[in-house]
Amino acid sequence: MVIRAGYGDKMVELDLKGEVCPYTFVKTKLKLEELESGEELVILFDHAPAVENVPRSLKNEGHKIMGIEQPEDKLWKVKVRKA
Amino acid sequence: MKLGILLTTSPENENTNTVINISRAAIRQGHEVSIFLMYDGVYNINNKEFAALVDDRVSIAVCAFNVEQRKIGKVDGIVFGSQYDHACIASEVDRLISFG
Amino acid sequence: MKKITVIVRNLPLNTRRNSEALRMSVGLTLKNDKVTVIFMDDGVYSATHLEPGIVNSRSPDREFEALSMLGCSLLADKPSLDKRSVKNLRENVVPAAREEIVNTITESDIVIPF
Repeated sequence: MVIRAGYGDKMVELDLKGEVCPYTFVKTKLKLEELESGEELVILFDHAPAVENVPRSLKNEGHKIMGIEQPEDKLWKVKVRKA
Repeated sequence: MKLGILLTTSPENENTNTVINISRAAIRQGHEVSIFLMYDGVYNINNKEFAALVDDRVSIAVCAFNVEQRKIGKVDGIVFGSQYDHACIASEVDRLISFG
Repeated sequence: MKKITVIVRNLPLNTRRNSEALRMSVGLTLKNDKVTVIFMDDGVYSATHLEPGIVNSRSPDREFEALSMLGCSLLADKPSLDKRSVKNLRENVVPAAREEIVNTITESDIVIPF
């Protein structure tokens, strides 16, 4: 999956570079609580295990993963739509 | 019954043998078993007898952060998960036993 | 919602166990369960301000901040504090009588001595 340019009217970004488990998911969860259903969040990670685990956990919580991309070495962007 | 097990010691500890035996006995009696490994407990995935529990339908997840810290390779059938997986196990099981 | 209690009993600087117990406690909040951390025996030293950098260990500041922000109860066993003359507890760690400690443990759905 690829995150396309242009995220609609509102795109919220959460920079989690330097964060490890479980703070990656704790902070993602807290940020999503601020959003309305259907709004999207782009999360930046540099911790490789988080790139697999956070999207899996988000899906388990009912959210939709819209895309994952790796713009550079050891940097990933995950786009999620709040349930 | 759903049984959860947290194991935080390495395979040299007798806890490993106890967890293997409890898991096998629980499965034999028709219970579901989910194991979460963290701290030095992640080394147990390199123990063949322990890792073979997945063949007995025991669900095993490890803290991938601890695995990365200890430079351990992935093992088929074991979920390289997160503390969220542990929270799910704790939330869903009828009993959770800790071996540390 | 379950009540989960994590018990920290080890000396803080000989091992990473205590920091990992706190990190695990943060993670256990992720399914909205009520998490309490009890510091007892030598574990009470973990509830004070230490200088882990001296022994090349990482500070658990982040774990304590997160646990407080997430509304977790942090209790220090008073008899353990008194026996060791420990007074400089971290912010948000509350000294608790043995009776309160026992009540917290007996009312928990899950108790994890780490």
